[in-house]
Amino acid sequence: MVVTLVTRDAARLEFPCASGQDVLGAAEAAGLYPPAMCHEGSCGMCQARVVEGAYEMGPHTESAMPAGPGGVLLCRCLPQGDVTIELPCTDAQVGRHKIPVREAEIEAMAQAGAGAVALTLRLRPDAELGLAVDFIPGQYMELTILGTETRRAYSLANLPNWEGRLDFIIRLQPGGAFSSWLGERAAVGDVLNVRGPLGHFVLDESSPRPRCLVGGGCGMAPLLSMLRHMADFQDSQPVHLIYGANREDELLPAEELDALRAALPQLGVTLSVWRPGPGWTGFSGTSADALDAYLATAAETPDIYVCGPPRMMEAVMSTAQRRGVPEAQIFAERVQS
Amino acid sequence: MFCFQCEQTSRVDGVAGCASAKGVCGKDETTADLQDVLIHLLKGIGQYSTRLHQLGQPDNAADSFIMYGLFTTLTNVNFNRAVFMELIPEAARIRDRLRAAYEAAAAKAGQTAAQLSGPAQFQPADNLAGLLAQAQIASVRHGVEIVGEDVIGLRALILYGLKGVAAYAHHAEVLGQANEEIYAGIAHALDFLAGEPVDVAAMLDEAMALGRLNYTVMQTLDAANTGNFGAPAPTEVLTTPVAGKAILVSGHDLRDLHNILEATKDKGINVYTHGEMLPAHGYPKLHAYPHLAGNYGGAWQNQQSEFAAFPGPIVMTSNCLIEPQPSYRNRIFTAGPVGWPGIRHIKNDDYSQVVQAAQAMPGFTEAAPEKKVLVGFGHETLMGAAGAVVDAVKSGAIKHFFVIGGCDGAAPGRNYYTDFADHAPKDAMVLTLGCGKYRFNTHDFGTIGGLPRLLDVGQCNDTYSALQIALALAKTFECGVNDLPLSLIVSWFEQKAAAVLLTLLALGVRNVRLGPSLPAFLTPALLGVLVEKFGVQPITTADADISAALNRQAA
Repeated sequence: MVVTLVTRDAARLEFPCASGQDVLGAAEAAGLYPPAMCHEGSCGMCQARVVEGAYEMGPHTESAMPAGPGGVLLCRCLPQGDVTIELPCTDAQVGRHKIPVREAEIEAMAQAGAGAVALTLRLRPDAELGLAVDFIPGQYMELTILGTETRRAYSLANLPNWEGRLDFIIRLQPGGAFSSWLGERAAVGDVLNVRGPLGHFVLDESSPRPRCLVGGGCGMAPLLSMLRHMADFQDSQPVHLIYGANREDELLPAEELDALRAALPQLGVTLSVWRPGPGWTGFSGTSADALDAYLATAAETPDIYVCGPPRMMEAVMSTAQRRGVPEAQIFAERVQS
Repeated sequence: MFCFQCEQTSRVDGVAGCASAKGVCGKDETTADLQDVLIHLLKGIGQYSTRLHQLGQPDNAADSFIMYGLFTTLTNVNFNRAVFMELIPEAARIRDRLRAAYEAAAAKAGQTAAQLSGPAQFQPADNLAGLLAQAQIASVRHGVEIVGEDVIGLRALILYGLKGVAAYAHHAEVLGQANEEIYAGIAHALDFLAGEPVDVAAMLDEAMALGRLNYTVMQTLDAANTGNFGAPAPTEVLTTPVAGKAILVSGHDLRDLHNILEATKDKGINVYTHGEMLPAHGYPKLHAYPHLAGNYGGAWQNQQSEFAAFPGPIVMTSNCLIEPQPSYRNRIFTAGPVGWPGIRHIKNDDYSQVVQAAQAMPGFTEAAPEKKVLVGFGHETLMGAAGAVVDAVKSGAIKHFFVIGGCDGAAPGRNYYTDFADHAPKDAMVLTLGCGKYRFNTHDFGTIGGLPRLLDVGQCNDTYSALQIALALAKTFECGVNDLPLSLIVSWFEQKAAAVLLTLLALGVRNVRLGPSLPAFLTPALLGVLVEKFGVQPITTADADISAALNRQAA
């Protein structure tokens, strides 16, 4: 089925709608956000008028419904075929997820553990966005080397800011096009195209459950951003970090974690090293093993946020499922290996 | 979760109240339940505070905490569970401190300290799961199967009215105005509720006492606002942007606006008001800041599209906040009692990040063709014009006054207020206050007797000013307020409107038109009392109600 929304200024917005799906849900899935609040048929914010096509209305508060023929609430309107709906607002009032593309200069490059680079970019000012770096911790950016087709997605490790600063932790892949450029040719002052923010790997801040963050390899970047966000907002939610690496020297410098521990007194940390050298006193094993040990003693089933290379992800997900963590409580982001 | 405190509460299939995982406002079940627990503890503080006031040993820090705590639970104020995980143990600590102080003060006065029960003894759990398990005892519907719906409804009317009183009192207090009557009155109402009252007559008396207390509170807030920022004067406000960096300030708190104006002084940033902050332009000491540029947008329910389009940071100083959209999540800030998980909260009046965000963002690149609205008709200005008004009434130029005031909201039925203002006869003067005015304040109402026909009296709490004008007219014409050619058309949404309604009833103002829908917590029997005792009337259609108001006066 196709839904056509017609705004007051006659813009026509078309998107697909599945059987049993409400118009508002279908619009949001298509990246269109008409004014709406409760999503439960009660506030009256998403009122509109069906001018063509058949529909049914789900449960709603009668006083929230607009009077007159075809009056509906988008959040409760279930199309029974193609429908055309008049919105009481203008096209500009329909929110959209715009994904900006901007230019950024390399400001700094430094080693971040063995085989990884901490890359700092500085955005060039944009007419519409200024120097705002607007994202939700956990999201990523697509970086393109200017004049090439070489494009890679990397999660942001820092926080949204108004200084144009973007921090990444990038594991160098031997022979990889972006890695070779970054490891061998890139210099401070070089310019990249930056597209984003992208991705849905973000904290569910409405969940009352404790959080368990599991990172492996460069999967630490989005988790660092989430933890820094929690620290910045003095979020008191219980949180445990499991950070896995193959060898100790691949772990991030200890001071990163010390700063987080100081700002988040409730933060528990398990550093797990798969093949530790002699003298390693932390957990020995994979991050999935560490998660297994953590879940075995956890008082409450946490929300799990996991980010890392594919094999690590699979192991972590199967451990979580075996320990009875519901699928809805597992949030995952794969990084390029 | 069960909540029916606001006008937009769910009424699916005729069942009133939000009782699912998330309320219509966006407040989740966990936060709503924690707010119930907090209120339960505030009642416990009220129990001891009341007795300390009686012994002449008040603890005003505890009383301040009560006001702030109640304010956080208003509709569209604080949605942040973490805030309540901190406020609950703090409330228990304060309550215990007051218990010890009360026992010491009683002993010193040679009395035996009463052994208080209920909220006075309630021990909150020290973890979330435990608190949620306890929330049932703190629910507004607790005990309904024993005491019945009417008692629950009346208790709710008192609690919600009290929340409104506390919000106004907090605004006044942060501007340095508070007094024993207010502190003791709020504590008393909580103490009353802690006793789980069942006597309908006693509860109605308490509701009226609360209405009178709210009159004092609005008067105190008026003194705080005018004392700090001067008496409002008629002022034209730009409703279109000027070129330059921009900050938007929403909510009701004039002190916060003042601090933002100070923090942005000489920084090349323009400050715009939003929603209920519009009347701020009428205050001379705020208007004096050249970078208080204008007003942006309309009432609260349009904020998602308006904030998304605003090219700078936004500060919410009080209600009404609704779920911030991703496009502006990182540039909206909360202050004071307001909060949302993952939204930055300003502490200790430190606006440096807001300033930084404004400077980093582009602001308005060009000015739009100028449009203006007129604000600033507080009681002082209107009293100054009283002579002209009285002459206009005597000459027949003004035949009626309509006060169309209160909240706005998303419900389609609120078009009633637009129609009412537009269809009111040309020889009727229209006074407005609250954010409901955005439905008609850009319309051309013309003039009457040499005065603008539409007068913006201010924020919802400036009902105080409207009442001063009514009382002055009644005095001049040697009659009662109810004998004046004056009708009050009240649109309610949240709990401050409930407080204002109680004030009107307590002062004996009859024939208030209340809408767009009636409070869900008022049962048919309670509505019967309001209709019979106070002449409260639900709205019908604008034209029918205008004609009824004019005929009542003619009759």
